[in-house]
Amino acid sequence: MWNPPALAQELLSVLLPADARETVCGDVLEEYRESRVPALGERRADVWYWRQVVGIWLRTYWGFVVPVILLLVVGDIFNTFRAPSGASYLDRLPMLAHLPLSPFVAVGFFVMAGAYGSWRTREFAGGLVAALGTFVVMWLFMVIWGTVTFYPFAHVQQSNPYWIQAWQWSTHRAHPPSTFGFNPDTPDEGFLNWIFWDNIGALLFGGVAMLIASSICGGLGSALGLIAARQRPATPHNA
Amino acid sequence: MADVLGSFEQAVLLAIVRLDDGAYGRAILNEVAARLERDVAAGAVQATLERLERKSLVRSTLGSGTPIRDGRARRFYTVSAEGLRQLNEARKTHETIWRGLRRPLKSRA
Repeated sequence: MWNPPALAQELLSVLLPADARETVCGDVLEEYRESRVPALGERRADVWYWRQVVGIWLRTYWGFVVPVILLLVVGDIFNTFRAPSGASYLDRLPMLAHLPLSPFVAVGFFVMAGAYGSWRTREFAGGLVAALGTFVVMWLFMVIWGTVTFYPFAHVQQSNPYWIQAWQWSTHRAHPPSTFGFNPDTPDEGFLNWIFWDNIGALLFGGVAMLIASSICGGLGSALGLIAARQRPATPHNA
Repeated sequence: MADVLGSFEQAVLLAIVRLDDGAYGRAILNEVAARLERDVAAGAVQATLERLERKSLVRSTLGSGTPIRDGRARRFYTVSAEGLRQLNEARKTHETIWRGLRRPLKSRA
């Protein structure tokens, strides 16, 4: 008998509320074995199974992903497009207007996703999958967003004093020996080349930072959600 | 005013009516996909069934598992009296708004 990928089966099980876990996993497994593998072959049936898992994740947690993505986009736009002096347009706004764009807000969404995930599934792992999934979708979006906006944004950035100063600071100053084992002193590096690698670096370092934040904050949220779930009465299904 | 059933909700409810005693998750998924003539995600059907059950438009009972499902139980659904009433209401509304028009509609241009 054919089996879907073990990781996908495990994720599907962790994603579903306790009262739907057995029946929905059974439905998807039955469809996979009886219809999809005979019709599509094992490899494409595996892809179908993964699509069901990702679809259920997105359907459940899109409400956490969309606000974080919007904050990322707004933050990036304000960071790129600056006043002719190089100052951020955000600086003119009251302090309260800065708060939604703070990294603490994104971290707060990891906590909330974790809490909701474990509350809904009554499983610690359910919350962790919610928070880590939020990170994965956010990071993939950042990669796509960074790629699509690279040239138009760089075109604007190369005529703004803030970004010119950042480029000159990065490429023309005398760097001390680097703790990363290389000296990035590259006085001949052009603006576009510099900002391309600057973006790649931001994606990689930002990705690692968000992975750590989503694991820790997602874990914290999951623990809180689990405590709340234990106070919740059982649904008619699992009573 | 009572909630108006969406077209996907109607498709799921009608699949349950058609399948009668055999209305469990996978059968509903396939019936809806066949009627809508497109691939339907298991998550979409599951979320709709959960919503309909919360609104008391369907009821469910657990059935036994089978070897193809590794023994996992099936959940069988039936449409409640309120669900049937809302389906009839939705059909009446649909027929009323189309009355007097020849189908399919044709462009004047």
